[in-house]
Amino acid sequence: MNKKIVTRITIVSFIVGLMIAVQYNTVQNPTTRDTRDIWAIRQELSEEKKRHSELLSEIGTYNDLIKEYENNEKEQQANLLENTVEELNEQVGLTSVTGPGVILKISPALELINSGYSVENISPDLLIRLVNEIYHYNGLYVEIDGQRLTHTSAIRDINGETTVNSVPIRNTNVEIKVITDSYEKAEKLYGYLFASTFKDDFYLDNLNLSISKAQSEITIAPYDGKLPNQYLVEDNKGE
Amino acid sequence: MWLPLLGLILGLGLGLLTDIQIPTVYENYLSIAVLAALDTIFGGIRANLQQVYDDKVFLSGFFFNIALAAGLAFLGVHLGVDLYLAAIFAFGVRLFQNIAVIRRILITKWEERHIKKDENTV
Repeated sequence: MNKKIVTRITIVSFIVGLMIAVQYNTVQNPTTRDTRDIWAIRQELSEEKKRHSELLSEIGTYNDLIKEYENNEKEQQANLLENTVEELNEQVGLTSVTGPGVILKISPALELINSGYSVENISPDLLIRLVNEIYHYNGLYVEIDGQRLTHTSAIRDINGETTVNSVPIRNTNVEIKVITDSYEKAEKLYGYLFASTFKDDFYLDNLNLSISKAQSEITIAPYDGKLPNQYLVEDNKGE
Repeated sequence: MWLPLLGLILGLGLGLLTDIQIPTVYENYLSIAVLAALDTIFGGIRANLQQVYDDKVFLSGFFFNIALAAGLAFLGVHLGVDLYLAAIFAFGVRLFQNIAVIRRILITKWEERHIKKDENTV
């Protein structure tokens, strides 16, 4: 092949390669325009900051724990471990807890019942939403109708009955106890729940939701079931 | 023969590494331009193998085809007719034809070489 021709074709193929690469780039990662304004960015930043400080304090606690483990004598280490186990039990919900919090009461709306409406079950969807909001607004421990909520608790409909931890809610008056970190947080939670649409949502189901003011001492019973631990098990199928 | 391939790889690498992007609006034009350019390259290779290669035809074809294709697409967008399909069809058909001709020429060459080799050994 003529040298000149080869150079020409090479240059053109270089351009073609460049074009294909640019096209590939454009198709694969389309540029998404950032449409947030300063305010939105500030809000996101403040959220991240909050998370940052939370994580830092968490790291601090664990560092302290590690130091304690390292510094103490063997006997004390056993004590420390016991303390940790107790703490974990408390977190999981195996011990009864006392603390500041809020009590919610769900009862049939009498004026509706008197005028002929039927008493309806509390819908599990609404209850789940309520619990999610409670956790979102710093609720630490929750008990619904005497049932302590744990990380594996299920609120669901079984044969037309709303159940918590697989125990149906039979009472027409249901009490929900919520414990928070501090009295201030309980007050905040009360304020939030009071201002939310939950009252109206429950009223749609002919139910009244009453929220008591923040209390300084509420006791929640431990979870009475067993929490199964599922460890990794070897699977011998392939042999 | 390897130099054009090297150029192609070099261009691809450069484009991918620099992460250049064009606005999504012009994506269609670029895709047609790529097709036109590919058609020109294969046309050039074919012409070269058939010994009818002409510098002017090759280079003018490269730029003119790209401009025409992009222009057709542009016109199509503004008229509401998908004219770029015409360009894709034309270039697609030509691409296949050119590659088929190149393949045939290469096969013939290879066979000739084979026969020569056989004659030499006999």
